Amino acid sequence: MTKSADTHCPYCALQCAMTLKSPAALTPAVQPGSEPVPAAPALEVSGREFPTNRGGLCRKGWTSASLLHHPGRVTEPMLKGPDGVHRPITWDEALARITTAVKDTRAKYGADAVGVFGGGGLTNEKAYQLGKFARIALGTSRIDYNGRFCMSSAAAAGMRSFGLDRGLPFPLEALDTASTIMMLGSNVAETMPPFVQHLQGVRDASGLIVVDPRRSATAAFTADGGGLHLQPLPGTDLTLLLGLAHVVIHEGLVDTDYVQARTNGYDALVRSVNAFWPERVQSITGVPADLIRETARRLADGARRGGSYILTGRGVEQHVDGTDTATAAINLSLLLGLPGTARSGYGTLTGQGNGQGGREHGQKADQLPGYRKITDPAARAHMAKVWNVPEDLIPGPGLPAVQLLKSLGQPDGVRCLFVHASNIAVASPDANSVIDGLRSLDFLMVCDFFMSETAAEADLVLPVLQWAEEEGTLTNLEGRVLRRRQAIQPPAGARSELWIMSQLAEALDAPSTFSDDPETVFEELRLASAGGLADYSGIDYAMLGKGEAAYWPYPAGSTGTPRLFLDAFAHAGGKAVMTPVAPRRRRTPAANTDPAAKTMTLITGRLLEHYQSGAQTRRVSELLASQPEARMQIHPAAAASMGITDGALVSVANERGEVVCRAELSTAIRPETVFLPFHFPELESANRLTEAATDPISGMPEFKFNKVWVRLAANVLNTSVLQTSEAS
Amino acid sequence: MSEQIVIVGFGPVAARLVDELLPGVRAGQVGVTVIGQEADAAYNRVLVADLGVGRTTPEALALADAAALAADGVDVRLGVKVKRVDRARQNVILSDGTSAHYDRLVFATGSRPVIPNLTGINPDPAAPVLPEGVTALRDLRDAEVLRKAVAGRKRVVVLGGGVLGLETALAAAEEGATVTVVHNGPHPLGRNIDRGGGAVLAASLRNCGVRVAGNARSTGVEHNAPDGGFSALLLHDGSAIDGDLLVLSCGVRPRTELAEGCGLSTGTGILVDHRLRAHHEPHIFAIGDCAEVRCPEPECIECRTARGPSGLVGPGWRQAEWLAEYLLLLAGGPQEDADSLPALPQEKPGVIVLKARGMNMAAAGDNSAEPWDEEVLTAGAVNGRPRLQIAQWADPEHGRYVKMTTRGGVLEGLVSVGMPRTAGELVQLFERGAELPADRSLLLRLDGPDQLASAGASSDPESTVCRCAGVSGGKITEAVTGGCSTVAEVSSATRAGTGCGGCHEDIKGLIEKHFQAAAA
Repeated sequence: MTKSADTHCPYCALQCAMTLKSPAALTPAVQPGSEPVPAAPALEVSGREFPTNRGGLCRKGWTSASLLHHPGRVTEPMLKGPDGVHRPITWDEALARITTAVKDTRAKYGADAVGVFGGGGLTNEKAYQLGKFARIALGTSRIDYNGRFCMSSAAAAGMRSFGLDRGLPFPLEALDTASTIMMLGSNVAETMPPFVQHLQGVRDASGLIVVDPRRSATAAFTADGGGLHLQPLPGTDLTLLLGLAHVVIHEGLVDTDYVQARTNGYDALVRSVNAFWPERVQSITGVPADLIRETARRLADGARRGGSYILTGRGVEQHVDGTDTATAAINLSLLLGLPGTARSGYGTLTGQGNGQGGREHGQKADQLPGYRKITDPAARAHMAKVWNVPEDLIPGPGLPAVQLLKSLGQPDGVRCLFVHASNIAVASPDANSVIDGLRSLDFLMVCDFFMSETAAEADLVLPVLQWAEEEGTLTNLEGRVLRRRQAIQPPAGARSELWIMSQLAEALDAPSTFSDDPETVFEELRLASAGGLADYSGIDYAMLGKGEAAYWPYPAGSTGTPRLFLDAFAHAGGKAVMTPVAPRRRRTPAANTDPAAKTMTLITGRLLEHYQSGAQTRRVSELLASQPEARMQIHPAAAASMGITDGALVSVANERGEVVCRAELSTAIRPETVFLPFHFPELESANRLTEAATDPISGMPEFKFNKVWVRLAANVLNTSVLQTSEAS
Repeated sequence: MSEQIVIVGFGPVAARLVDELLPGVRAGQVGVTVIGQEADAAYNRVLVADLGVGRTTPEALALADAAALAADGVDVRLGVKVKRVDRARQNVILSDGTSAHYDRLVFATGSRPVIPNLTGINPDPAAPVLPEGVTALRDLRDAEVLRKAVAGRKRVVVLGGGVLGLETALAAAEEGATVTVVHNGPHPLGRNIDRGGGAVLAASLRNCGVRVAGNARSTGVEHNAPDGGFSALLLHDGSAIDGDLLVLSCGVRPRTELAEGCGLSTGTGILVDHRLRAHHEPHIFAIGDCAEVRCPEPECIECRTARGPSGLVGPGWRQAEWLAEYLLLLAGGPQEDADSLPALPQEKPGVIVLKARGMNMAAAGDNSAEPWDEEVLTAGAVNGRPRLQIAQWADPEHGRYVKMTTRGGVLEGLVSVGMPRTAGELVQLFERGAELPADRSLLLRLDGPDQLASAGASSDPESTVCRCAGVSGGKITEAVTGGCSTVAEVSSATRAGTGCGGCHEDIKGLIEKHFQAAAA
């Protein structure tokens, strides 16, 4: 009998390999939903040798097991009473209430009044089944997920350029021997620390180029000869990339044979970047012209030596022009001849644990499993066959996340919402409006294992399983499919989402089948994905259990695809497409009405200690002790002019809301910019300030470029006191 | 019938206008005819000097593709001139005998080089015939002339110390030509920068291999080359500067003669209001180098301080984008709807950034005041308006100079030579009208080596050594004291070094420090 389970970390897309050891022998896996045995004592976590993390883990991984037996865990279905207090009810009652709510809503407003919001943390099996459940059990088109807030821009750009989107189209280890790596808007030193091992080679070769308005922990690696740090003004990344492409073209650094043989659109691209000569780009971005030239030359030079890679992250993608910015990065990589070669490439760093798999299997409003388009008749016919339902039973495209959330409680909007693996009350742009939307619903059901800020709003909270309590698969940032193993029995009363869906499907008399067994669902996913872009048909649990490196597309009979596009891109004709892009004029933000406050640019991001909305990591005492609250990073020069000292309470506000938190003085940030982490709720919730404006192609909201009015909070308190006394 | 828009001129600004109108053309909302005098479709004139020194190719300069535009339904007419405009019939008559009807006519005729009055050069400004070996470096053919001289490592004389002259000189020198810049006044860029900046700039130019002849008034050219071409530039003091090619870089002048010919008001350029419309003529607009925004309202405060055309392409592009939106609104609905589009805001004074490799210079606004000029600094400081303030840094030995002229903390002028990061930040601050940090020296330190150094391991035991696992130096030392003597042992005891591995050297350092202390 085994005493340990080889699995992967519950958090980010690096999916570090870890081993969970229990002091007692592990009980063999049982079907979720069967009568659980009492939970075993706390598990011991250790790093495991694996190509992505090489045995390393960060603090989040090390402490992940402490949540399994957390006293705050939800272990019974909780119904909100008229007094606003959640009280336990039985599963039978919970399922009956959901069924009634769905049926009532459908009868009154139609099937599209029921909505589903998924997450990039769900396993492949759950993501797949959730899409199927929404479309043929609930009959709604209104399903989307929080990956719309992460990967949608890079995904849309990858589709447009390559005809296929896999975050890294090459194994991570390929970075080890590169001569030049340019990372744009990605702070891996904080967000996925073990990744940094793969940058050691390029740092030794002085070839790391980091583009970030902050001198982030990752940007600091460029010091002491490690490479270059480009510090553009927030919101000017696209212009910077056009400037780099300009230099590549005008200095004769284009890989002309490659461009000729493997791409379309070169001439139009040349014309489109012509207007972005380095000095003009310097005037817009603040990045010195010679640094732009140097960067372009190093990328070209690296491609001729050990290889060059261009990697983008959320910093450049989470904008209203995110798709175009990612496209500009891809265009640059195509000019240099990087993608689809043996030693170079372009990639986007997926963030959430199953952010890759989560965007392939039909959780997206416009998508069917296998990364198929929901509007494609062939795709619909294929899925109708797999699901054994008539084709017209599959609804058409729904609404992308921001629009879906804007529709909550509206006429013709969603009145009854299911939320899975997502804390939208903290993680969505314009969070105050989202919370208002949640409160205006007829019925809100949230699946979570903690009383998250979103669960707290719910009529009904269903307790679900944590990563170590169930089987499943995830697809990491490289497009490699991994098995997550059960190591421990779940608490009595918690259930897998697969079981919940299967029960509800039955209660709703849904067609097709909804299994509660992960492997059975995976077998169906294989069939569903067969022939699609993200083809998993050749992958099974047994081979994953043996640790085989399975990179999709992995059609049955093949051996998978560690490196994509070596022979051809996925567009018809096999060529990559260079689409000209240009900066658009930005909307004018509301005027600052507070004379005591200074208008500054807000960027948001992550801290090493926390993950996403913090619903999990804020409950780990070690992590919370280290980063207990949101702190607004501000440059000492800017702070001095406002009388803000380190640790002072500040108010950060705009027309959407207000955050009050402590200031942290740092020269790592530009003087006109402030930074807030987005892991904290309520008065410290950064997303109260972000705008729900979206990219026209991907639906990505603007998270990284918002105007805010900053001032000492003492003034706020004084004024409100003053107003109160006047009123009384 | 869709609205017919005729654009006279096909330079960079016209190309942008056509691009922005394309959606309307594809939708059948407007018809667009664009008329270019040169045989080539629009190309990036800003980079002609780069082409002239062989740094780029004509293909890479293209801003428009005539065939692609024609396929989209744009009527592209190249190699023809507009002879005259018949405003009564709303027609333009072309040199090839054809004509085109317009509902809206846009002048984007740009500018032409100023040809200085020199003996040996035909002074007719409208149709100068430049002798062999003399070029004004404006179009692709001029670039070819320069390219031959540079490739032959010839001697190039640049007349004019403006930004375009300096850029040409630096590029040609770097590519191997022997270059002399001849300018009047005490320093180059006389109109844009102050004495200190000018001195440092001139020194930097010399360091880059460019000879600089200042305070020189030129009077004529000599044609004693074997082919009868240019051989020397003659100066008023009787001296001569020998060379094989003379590049005239004496500024540009708006091309307004066609507009004048049809009775439109002109000043320096074609006079237009804030909607870029010619005075008293709702069917005609002008944008770019040929346009001068100065509305007919005598009370308009904006126009009282307006300067003439900037000669920079950025403002022209902004005008093209705005006008396209306006024209599409006009084509789609009533005038009042179109007029609800807010007018283009007034341009800030242009920022000059020297396009050159290995040398960095930026200037903007008025830099004439010096730190101790009480009279100049306080002039205009009435009714609570703050006075001008100057902060300055000069390090001629290392080719560095910065001057910030501010009012109320906001830049009204800037000069930066030899400090790229500082220049980048100052230009940003200038364009946004943002307040400078009270400690101005902050802006000077951006280019310092201390900005690049990493934090390094701190000796404070409370400070974090391993960020990934959140382990302090104190904890590591504790583990070493407790028996750990290798990084691996420290890692398994404290988790330090178990994430990215970046702190292994620091852990090793702490182990060594412990054992050294023990040995001592």
